[in-house]
Amino acid sequence: MAHDTAVLVLGGGSTGCGIARDLAMRGVDVTLVERGNLTDGTTGRMHGLLHSGGRYAVSDQASATECIEENEILREIASHCVEETGGLFVQRPEDSDEYFREKLEGCRDCGIPATVLSGREARKVEPYLADDVSRAIQVPDGAVDPFRLCVANALDAERHGARVETHAEVIDLLRDGDDIYGVEIRHDSGPGKRTHKSPGTTEEITAEYVVNATGAWAGQIGAMADLDVAVRPSKGVMTIMNVRQVDTVINRCRPKGDADIIVPHETTAILGTTDEEVADPDDYPEEQWEVDMMIDTLAELVPIVEEARTIRSFWGVRPLYEPPGTGTQDPTDITRDFFLLDHDERDGVSGMSSIVGGKFTTYRAMAEEISDHVCAKLGVSATCTTAEDPLPGSENISVLEEGMDDFGLRSPIARRSNQRLGNRAADVLETDEPNPVVCECEGVTRAEVQDAIDQSGSDLNAVRIRTRASMGNCQGGFCCQNMATELHPRYDEETVREALDELFEERWKGERHALWGEQLSQAMLNYALHATTMNRDNDPANGSTQVDYAQFDGGA
Amino acid sequence: MSDAQRPIDDGVPSEQPSTGGAGGGDGDDDNDEFEPVQVFPEAEEMDLRPGADSCYKCSTCDTNCPVAEVDDEFPGPKFQGPEQWRLKRQDDHDIDESVMKCSNCMRCDSACPSSVPLSQMHNTARAEYVEENMSKLSREYLRNRMLANYRRLAPLASMFPRTANVVMGLSVTKWLGEKTLGITSEREFPEFATETFREWWTDRGGAKVENEDKRIAYFHGCYSNYNTPEVAKALVHVYEHFGYEVMVPEQSCSGTPMFANGMLEDARRAAETNVRELAAAIEDGADVIASCSSCSMSIRQEYPELFDFEDTETVAANTWDAVEYLRVHEDLTGALENTAVGDEFDDMAYHAPCHSRNQGLDGQTIEVMDAIDGIDAHDVGDSCSGISGTYGWKEENYETSMKIGEEMFEHMDEAEAETGLTECPTCSMQMEHGTGYEIKHTLEVLEAALGGDGAENGAGSGSDTDAGTTTATESI
Repeated sequence: MAHDTAVLVLGGGSTGCGIARDLAMRGVDVTLVERGNLTDGTTGRMHGLLHSGGRYAVSDQASATECIEENEILREIASHCVEETGGLFVQRPEDSDEYFREKLEGCRDCGIPATVLSGREARKVEPYLADDVSRAIQVPDGAVDPFRLCVANALDAERHGARVETHAEVIDLLRDGDDIYGVEIRHDSGPGKRTHKSPGTTEEITAEYVVNATGAWAGQIGAMADLDVAVRPSKGVMTIMNVRQVDTVINRCRPKGDADIIVPHETTAILGTTDEEVADPDDYPEEQWEVDMMIDTLAELVPIVEEARTIRSFWGVRPLYEPPGTGTQDPTDITRDFFLLDHDERDGVSGMSSIVGGKFTTYRAMAEEISDHVCAKLGVSATCTTAEDPLPGSENISVLEEGMDDFGLRSPIARRSNQRLGNRAADVLETDEPNPVVCECEGVTRAEVQDAIDQSGSDLNAVRIRTRASMGNCQGGFCCQNMATELHPRYDEETVREALDELFEERWKGERHALWGEQLSQAMLNYALHATTMNRDNDPANGSTQVDYAQFDGGA
Repeated sequence: MSDAQRPIDDGVPSEQPSTGGAGGGDGDDDNDEFEPVQVFPEAEEMDLRPGADSCYKCSTCDTNCPVAEVDDEFPGPKFQGPEQWRLKRQDDHDIDESVMKCSNCMRCDSACPSSVPLSQMHNTARAEYVEENMSKLSREYLRNRMLANYRRLAPLASMFPRTANVVMGLSVTKWLGEKTLGITSEREFPEFATETFREWWTDRGGAKVENEDKRIAYFHGCYSNYNTPEVAKALVHVYEHFGYEVMVPEQSCSGTPMFANGMLEDARRAAETNVRELAAAIEDGADVIASCSSCSMSIRQEYPELFDFEDTETVAANTWDAVEYLRVHEDLTGALENTAVGDEFDDMAYHAPCHSRNQGLDGQTIEVMDAIDGIDAHDVGDSCSGISGTYGWKEENYETSMKIGEEMFEHMDEAEAETGLTECPTCSMQMEHGTGYEIKHTLEVLEAALGGDGAENGAGSGSDTDAGTTTATESI
């Protein structure tokens, strides 16, 4: 039987996109389907830490070693998504000296460059560190933008012939006896780029091999073919600060615990996190006390966060897994290693493997191992090149750094745009058209927004993750409508309106967890502006009845 | 130090017996309690990103910016301040050049409903721009440095004031100024007085009133020393009239023109002298009084925002505008009741300088003038005069400066007055330049009303003034 594709990858997170790119680069015909937008699952809901491995240097040295190796690779192949911030493991007076020593030894055992700083030296690096931080271990942690990294993988996969379908939910696994041969998906708006208001369709995609890379959702997918994938979803909260209080990753140097990391992320800093098992990765409580607890605890390291403005909070779900029978109680203790479950070997059902566990920093190594496995199944002998071939945007980064062009933009906007786009900057920003700033908070121009629309259709959340537009302190209050306007005239008024609603609702989802102090003022101002200038509190155009515009002309 | 060379046990440079003590690590760590979080020795190290937390982007600052109103290319205070700071990373030093178009009128500070430290952000960014991005050999830098350090040139001119005034007034000088330095030839250079205020003060023998309980330290600034000593003398007479002992401490430029030109190191040196000298005067029981609204603004707001000398806060907290102080501590309107002034002052067009407005003092002059018989002072509105210190002196800003000033000129023209009134030296230059009116300082009017005027010049002795002062004080 002829298949639609050789390999079908389920899940558009870092793992799925990494596998799709790896296989496509090996010349394998691959299709990726994702329920929502790329990164909608766990990838888009992490703190953006590029691990040095320091966090695992005591508890899990195999992971730590893998982290530092992948850390170094990503700095090369994805330099436009990575910021080399460095990281500190800081010790407070009440934190154990013994553990500090173990951490340092562990780092050195794993080949992670580690230097001890006195409290004063650490405060020289990060002036807002608490006065009583007594010392710190400096490691090469970094910050990574998971959105752009994931998108760059998908983009490169497409360049190598892959088909990437977002907003395509798997509704069934196609199983014939003991063989899985494809999936049935439901397109939100038809195949191809998303267009709001287009009618949805369903489609069967058959494949020689299916890779279930849906992370925390792997159990749900498995169940469609009566396979038991005992993934243990575990939620963690992250809070985004309005500005960077620190430019270095700050970790608490103690064995384990909630709320022990601050990651500088683009214009913001992200506080993380907690670890609590949940039953359903799509439905779990998001509670204010989790946010409060995290801010309070992290204020012990960086006191200024206590009073600082938070712009939103979000929860992510880790796809934790451990082999049946391990029986670990505390999710914090479950290994962060990944597992490749070959359902043929495991369940006697051929045609599919599931990937569970793992972590973002090592997505590429995971993808390589899985791709090797798949290639063996398919009899493909090509080898992996993803550790050497840079991602789109990082192909020629040295040229870019030497002579950063401002493209007629004001300096900080040019700098941020260049950093986001990497060596694609000239292609995107060189334009004869006027190129005004669309998102003031993040310094995103029309040309960059248009480039994202070219990639993703009418989906403004897809534009958001590519550009950061609407991710700043106004949380879209001043720019969502400007972004939506950029869809016109490619898309009609109704589509634009729906895309705007969807983006603004997504912004609100996180912002509602930050409604005190300045962000409450911001939300009120946003509401007032949107209500008074666009009728968005009660827009008759959104109603079912036709608006009689002639009435207005008549002065009614 | 490379980690390979460092044994693990040596991790902390010198171990302390207890890890419980605050600040723990270093053996030579005595200073650790005084953490450098608030102490920024260099402007370019200041991290003002947290200040962006207060901004919710309402744009009220932009709508109140006089430069943005007339110059479409200027992105406005919101971009210059919170947006630019928020986009910065620790190692970024590329400040957008548009910050040099900001006139430092500081109206954005007053306009902001959310207390964003806008002018502090602008001052710091501007200093960083000048430090990192402007060539120290460029004409612009040299010109700005000269304008900012006018005080360094003024003593030379003051030695030969008449010659200086003739030379400065020559068209060839102006032409050279514009061609070589980019100082506009459209403006008349202010004249230097034949006798500076400090010379007069020394000749006079200093204070005529001694009073342990009522002392002020007069911060005259540069302009009333070198160019308009009549204003400084008026202050002395008015304050002595109310029984104050006037001290005139050593002082340097307030720093205002240096902030505006991004010469933060020059400003730091000047401020260090001023804080030291004024703090000593405060120690002696004096309050600090300034007659120039930009000088008082600078000491009160910019010093604490930008510097951290010992006593900076104390000096800021004890500095006053000259008229404000009298309104608070004396019954000024009571003293002015039934006073009258000569024809010299009748109808006056009053412009409140931005830097008075920012201190909340824009209403006081009209109220004070109302108490004097025969004076009709007309407020010419809340627009900016447009000159903003050295800003309007630059060739490239001249047109913008005059466009901003247009509203004020029109209102002065419409007001029934042929004389202008203000408290800021450069506003007064602009008022004169735009209308041809003679411009007075409020203290000169008070001096005339309270009768101290001319006493010393006429009699060659201060006794009349002293007698008058005593009576007036007693009668209050």
